[in-house]
Amino acid sequence: MILLPIVALILGAAVALAIKLPAIPGAYGQYLAVACLAGFDTICGGVRAGLEDKFRADVFITGFVSNVLIAFFLAWFGDQIYINLFLAVALVLGARIFTNLSLIRRYGLTKWQDSRTRKRLQAQNQAVVSAQPKPNP
Amino acid sequence: MNPFVAKIDKQSWVVPVSCMCLVLGFMLCMAWVTQSTRTSRQNYLPADQKIRVNENVDVDAYEKMSAEVAKLQAEKTRLEKALSSHDGQSKVLNDSLQELKVFAGMTPVTGPGVVVTLRDSPKYAGTGYGSTMMISPDATIHDVDALKVCNELVAAGAEAVSVNNLRMAGNSSLRCVGNTILVNDVKISSPVVVRAIGDPVTIMGAMNMPGGVLAEIRQMDPNMVQIEAVKSQELPAFVGNTTRKFAKPPKEGK
Repeated sequence: MILLPIVALILGAAVALAIKLPAIPGAYGQYLAVACLAGFDTICGGVRAGLEDKFRADVFITGFVSNVLIAFFLAWFGDQIYINLFLAVALVLGARIFTNLSLIRRYGLTKWQDSRTRKRLQAQNQAVVSAQPKPNP
Repeated sequence: MNPFVAKIDKQSWVVPVSCMCLVLGFMLCMAWVTQSTRTSRQNYLPADQKIRVNENVDVDAYEKMSAEVAKLQAEKTRLEKALSSHDGQSKVLNDSLQELKVFAGMTPVTGPGVVVTLRDSPKYAGTGYGSTMMISPDATIHDVDALKVCNELVAAGAEAVSVNNLRMAGNSSLRCVGNTILVNDVKISSPVVVRAIGDPVTIMGAMNMPGGVLAEIRQMDPNMVQIEAVKSQELPAFVGNTTRKFAKPPKEGK
């Protein structure tokens, strides 16, 4: 299930490469880079919410679009008033990506350990059941 | 079990996340720094990060130097051959002498380049020292400004530089004396016209760098600086003193 988003990511890049979209030069390239960071953060958040069973598609999609636009325009706005908001956005989004990814990792780890424990208990149960002498008819 | 369809209907987040991943992949591809966008993107990086992403500069310099070494070795071979055979000896010597003279600034040179004109701020014209109005000393062009401009030009790849038609050569100097500037011991004053021969595009880019020398002067008054690229210009030869009293080439070990 985690494979599908990754395949989609590669597919998106492949499509962009296939139709020979030019890479964006200069300042707008920088703004778009920040927007990418925001998009990545939102996707991490979406995966995390999904794993926590709190996922809502409408929240996720509007969040993605608005975060991307906000990051883009915040970086642009910072350049208009000579304040490096670019760095502020990158810093905040970087921290959030770290948090989200660590939560996803914890969730996965817990699930894996749970399943292992369950299997062990099942095996024990099996062993106990089979070790018991068969009652005579 | 197919990993792509497993559990999709149970977990509603997979499809929306995948859709947005598609968009993100698209965006990432457009934001990726490629060969064609590298230069323009780098201008927006802080200096330390510029150094980090730019480690290939040293490779370029190394390749340049290797080419130079190969060229010098070929040159040496050529000279040795000419010496040993005595054929065309004087021509080879003359060629290398001419090359050295061009390098030393002892001959006039022509080529494309840029012209930088520095003049005292017209805003404060007629309000020199002694007038009642306080003006900043930054409103006038100083020897340091001309010196910095020359230095920047050479750093940007200028092959020949002249200041008010006085050629900059190995022992040139720029010095402030009173209200004039001495260039090679000749007095000049504002406007200072610095001409340089080299790649106009590179030099223009380097000179107009944000935070550069010209930007510093422009902060005071944009009219103090004028820079334009020229297709072709002639720079005069160095005409200053070339006599030496002390410096002598070391004797060859025998």
